Amino acid sequence: MASSTLENTINKILDQTEKTIISDVESALHDSITTLENSVPKLEQEFDKIISDGKKEADKIEKQIVGSADLEARNKQLMALEDAVTRVFEKSLDEIKNADRSGDYANLIKSLLDDATKILGTTNVVVHTNSKDKDVVSSTLSQFPGAELSSELVDCLGGVIVKSKDGAMTFDNSIDARIDRLKPLIRKEIASKFGVGN
Amino acid sequence: MAAQGRIVWVSGPAVKADGMSEAKMYETVTVGDSKLVGEVIRLTGDVAFIQVYESTSGLKPGEPVIGTGNPLSVLLGPGIIGQLYDGIQRPLRELSKASGSFIGRGITTTPVDMTKKYHFVPTVSNGDEISAGNIIGTVQETDLIEHSIMVPPDHKGGKISNLVSEGDYDLETVLATTEKDGVQVELKMYHKWPVRKPRPYKNRYDPTVPLLTGQRVIDTFFPIAKGGTGSIPGAFGTGKTVTLHQIAKWADSQVVVYIGCGERGNEMTEVLVEFPHLQDPRTGKPLMDRTVLVANTSNMPVAAREASIYTGVTIAEYYRDMGKDVVLVADSTSRWAEALREMSGRLEEMPAEEGYPSYLASRLAEFYERAGRVKAAGSPDRDGSVTLIGAVSPSGGDFTEPVTTHTMRFIKTFWALDAKLAYSRHYPSINWMNSYSGYLADIAKWWGENINQDWLSLRSEVYGVLQREDTLKEIVRLLGPEALPDEEKLILEVARMVKIGLLQQNSFDDVDTYCSPEKQYKLMKLLVDFYRKGQQAIKEGTPLADIRAMNSITQLLKARMDVKDDEMPKLDKLESDMAAEFKTITGVKVSN
Amino acid sequence: MSGQGGVQYSKIAEIKGPLVIVDDVDNAAFDELVEIETKDGERRLGKVLEVGNGKAIVQVFEGTTGLSIAATNAKFVGKVMEMPVSREVLGRVFDGLGRPKDGLPDPIADSFIDINGEPMNPEQREYPKDFIQTGVSVIDGMITLVRGQKLPIFSGSGMSHNLLAAQIARQASVIGTQDDFAVVFAAIGVQYSEAEYFRRSLEESGALKRSVLFLNTADDPAIERIITPRVALTVAEYLAFELGMHVLVILTDMTNYAEALREISAAREEVPGRKGYPGYLYTDLSTIYERAGKLNGKKGSVTQVPILSMPSDDITHPIPDLTGYITEGQIVLGRDLFRQGVYPPVNILMSLSRLMKDGIGEGSTRADHGEISNQVYDAYSRAQEVRALAGIVGKAGLTDIDLKYMDLGDMFENQFLSQATDENRTIEETLGILWKLVSKLPKNEITKIKDKYVEQYYQEE
Repeated sequence: MASSTLENTINKILDQTEKTIISDVESALHDSITTLENSVPKLEQEFDKIISDGKKEADKIEKQIVGSADLEARNKQLMALEDAVTRVFEKSLDEIKNADRSGDYANLIKSLLDDATKILGTTNVVVHTNSKDKDVVSSTLSQFPGAELSSELVDCLGGVIVKSKDGAMTFDNSIDARIDRLKPLIRKEIASKFGVGN
Repeated sequence: MAAQGRIVWVSGPAVKADGMSEAKMYETVTVGDSKLVGEVIRLTGDVAFIQVYESTSGLKPGEPVIGTGNPLSVLLGPGIIGQLYDGIQRPLRELSKASGSFIGRGITTTPVDMTKKYHFVPTVSNGDEISAGNIIGTVQETDLIEHSIMVPPDHKGGKISNLVSEGDYDLETVLATTEKDGVQVELKMYHKWPVRKPRPYKNRYDPTVPLLTGQRVIDTFFPIAKGGTGSIPGAFGTGKTVTLHQIAKWADSQVVVYIGCGERGNEMTEVLVEFPHLQDPRTGKPLMDRTVLVANTSNMPVAAREASIYTGVTIAEYYRDMGKDVVLVADSTSRWAEALREMSGRLEEMPAEEGYPSYLASRLAEFYERAGRVKAAGSPDRDGSVTLIGAVSPSGGDFTEPVTTHTMRFIKTFWALDAKLAYSRHYPSINWMNSYSGYLADIAKWWGENINQDWLSLRSEVYGVLQREDTLKEIVRLLGPEALPDEEKLILEVARMVKIGLLQQNSFDDVDTYCSPEKQYKLMKLLVDFYRKGQQAIKEGTPLADIRAMNSITQLLKARMDVKDDEMPKLDKLESDMAAEFKTITGVKVSN
Repeated sequence: MSGQGGVQYSKIAEIKGPLVIVDDVDNAAFDELVEIETKDGERRLGKVLEVGNGKAIVQVFEGTTGLSIAATNAKFVGKVMEMPVSREVLGRVFDGLGRPKDGLPDPIADSFIDINGEPMNPEQREYPKDFIQTGVSVIDGMITLVRGQKLPIFSGSGMSHNLLAAQIARQASVIGTQDDFAVVFAAIGVQYSEAEYFRRSLEESGALKRSVLFLNTADDPAIERIITPRVALTVAEYLAFELGMHVLVILTDMTNYAEALREISAAREEVPGRKGYPGYLYTDLSTIYERAGKLNGKKGSVTQVPILSMPSDDITHPIPDLTGYITEGQIVLGRDLFRQGVYPPVNILMSLSRLMKDGIGEGSTRADHGEISNQVYDAYSRAQEVRALAGIVGKAGLTDIDLKYMDLGDMFENQFLSQATDENRTIEETLGILWKLVSKLPKNEITKIKDKYVEQYYQEE
């Protein structure tokens, strides 16, 4: 009896312990599941965040790359165009340089002198030109009383540089200067021939 | 013979021309090949000093200057109302037809459409003797404006003949001729008048009628009279422009002239967009039908800014002469003074304070002197007024600078805008301790007769609370609010309520933007009521906390927005509710 | 002015400060462009400030250092200064006078435009009312920016104005991508690093190809700064009103501009106004700031965000003072907030957007926007008063309601004002935070909001 009581007691204790253990395990299991369940969205969030941060960064880089690439392509185009413009320019300058100085050319020189003396407000001037135009200028100058041809030659494509005799005023009406003044318009013209600009 | 000279010197808006011995002071001239408009402002030998009203960029010595023989004048006739003019009365709508979105130069137009026909109703007959200022007939200019056709103020008088019969005529039609001593003069619907010369009148009255603006802090606390002068100085961001727009919108005058003098372009656009859609609270017609705008924005030529003030005031006087009440708002007189300073600098005149010319004060005085309530020249008898309100933009918000100090000498109402109030979003930010009105005594009679006899005493009581608060605030700042006894804390509470419920006004709220004099009075009365009952309750031992917790307070503070002008019974109800609530908290049994 | 010019004058009477005075001149116009040439072929640009009686006063943009009376010529070009413009200016970098600085050729011009511009006819302006979402809560919620507005940032030395301006430029551009937008950036006498920060920031957001940069850095000639904002605005107007783009113009730092103006005025011995600045500073500034806006019948807009550093943080200094009188509000940065590490450190009580009322509300942001922002202004202002009081009497001396305001003030700074430089908040998020703040107050403290909105948005604890 005593032993059986003892047995019973032992069994009871064992039983209870087992139950406790089981329930402990169960609750632990449950807890861990809950924790796991809880942690999943967190993980997902974390995961999303990593992805989205990466995506943001990627977006940023993509934008930057696309933007830069666009720009680079455009800039290359600009350089190519400029190159073409320069070549056209140089060619025309060459043609002007080697142009025939007879015939109509004297009229051009006259109008350049007209222009310059009008703007300076006097014909009492010294005129500079290059070696090629010297003769044409010299013969045209007779129509401008008071005007003198300077013996000093200047380096230009053609045309005249006109100075008042006191040296205070100068009007550069060389072909170079005229082209320089018109250059932006000429560039626009050439560019439009290449189908750029309006 | 008109002067014909040549430009010898150009610097910004200032040009010198020689060969101008024929020119007269203040004569208008055309300047340069592009025919810019200018005005002679000094003559030395045969050299004329000219201020040019358009950009002088590209102008060269040697270009011609030709005199017109006439001083700078405005054209006065029907068609002015609803217009937007530049500083020399060129209609900006017409200018845009000539030069698009941006203002071009050398464009000539007429200020009004000379070919538009108006229905003329003569009020005189052939054979009548007339004199300067007489009305010979009327036309309907807009729905709101019956426009009197007047004999020009410089007319010598005479007997009328060739009077047309009632009918539709344009501005160039000769409506009648007068004859005196063999001299015949034609009368048309319009005449011209030099802007720098005030239009004559028979005599002046004391200003005794308030100009009601619907703005509580103005009408109730610092009122202005019809024919009076007022100034509104304030640093930037203090709500100057909004306050001026509110006056232009709601003032009980027949005509409003709004001058944007050296201010923002968008502000004029705002008026142009908004006014046609706003209704005059008294007539229900669009506000644009009574408004004339003169705009010389800050980036438009500076000399025309100087002229814009005179252009505006001459137009105002013209409508005054018809017997109308006119309000002129000039924003800002400081920019006008700066234009004077700039021209003076170019003339190399000896500067007075801060570089302003020594004649700044006299120019300001001359301008404000053109305000007044008058009996107009000629017959029939009619009374009209010009009220002048000028904004001042003191540099750095400093009221001791020359334009503010000189202006204060010539005006009677001073609305001091306060940056601190504006920062805490108390609008209009008119500081109640620094502002004043010299018309209070004159117009109290009107309020007494038309609203309530106790108006002045209530106002004094409310103002007294604000003054007490001002001193108490010092103590609070040093010791905290708990240092005060309940009676004084109540004053702080009432002052807070006065500020929120009465002084503050939300111009963007449909109801609050305009407040009728009746409602202004009633709100003030309710606040005084609250104050008196509160004092009594505290005397009887009611804790302040109970008073502070009253429902009526929130009601009272929101009443300015919640109660429309035509819902005055709601305020009566608020009054009785408040009385009942006081009885509850003081322990008196309510028996209803 | 026709092409009648081109004469070179060699009689230099005087050189002082940035000015060259030329004698015996009889063919020059006011405002005309001048090329100053030295004997060794160096060319500088200038313009005529005054002409007459055989004398022309020329202001040299690149300064007069190295010029001599004997070896200097002045060529009067026969036109005012012009900027060549075309769509191809986008993505380009220019110097302070509008010349290429990126190694690429001059832009091929569609047209040449007078850099001074012409005043917009107020009758032709369209009133600005289109909300721009900048993604910066304090601006969108409390100081709303609209298209065509001029809204400066008043800052002080060393504060985070450039971060803020760059964030506005990046984020404002992203919204409403169906509309063409562009950014025009003008550096006026700022450090190279600041200009570079801007360029990089635009590059990183991919906006560089829709931007035009004008750079006058601290080591560039000072007088050039007179021109920099004008060439920038000329390009902006072209992009906006000819090409229909919405252009955001950032001008930094306008204080350097005003100083250049003062230098010229002093050299001309003009009677100075306040603090030595010329009396016409207001008018001059207005010819820059008023070049913002929208026009009837034109699609684009020019929105300006000028930045200026207030000398000694003094808002009454002539430069911020006169600017404030011209611009449509101001965003003021506060030194205290900056020191506390708050970004953006905007002092809302001193800040204001005049055009806000028309840019917000039903149909653009939300119907309750105006009232909730008014209430928060009011509450924050109360919070500041309470803070000041607490400094004297201690927290113990405050009432319960005072404490609530104080909490609201802290929340305002920590949750609403503070945001990351790459954080782009929607207007709904912004308004949500505002309601969260206001919900800290008991309902009877809410006097500026209609009951229906309180019912809809107030968050009971």
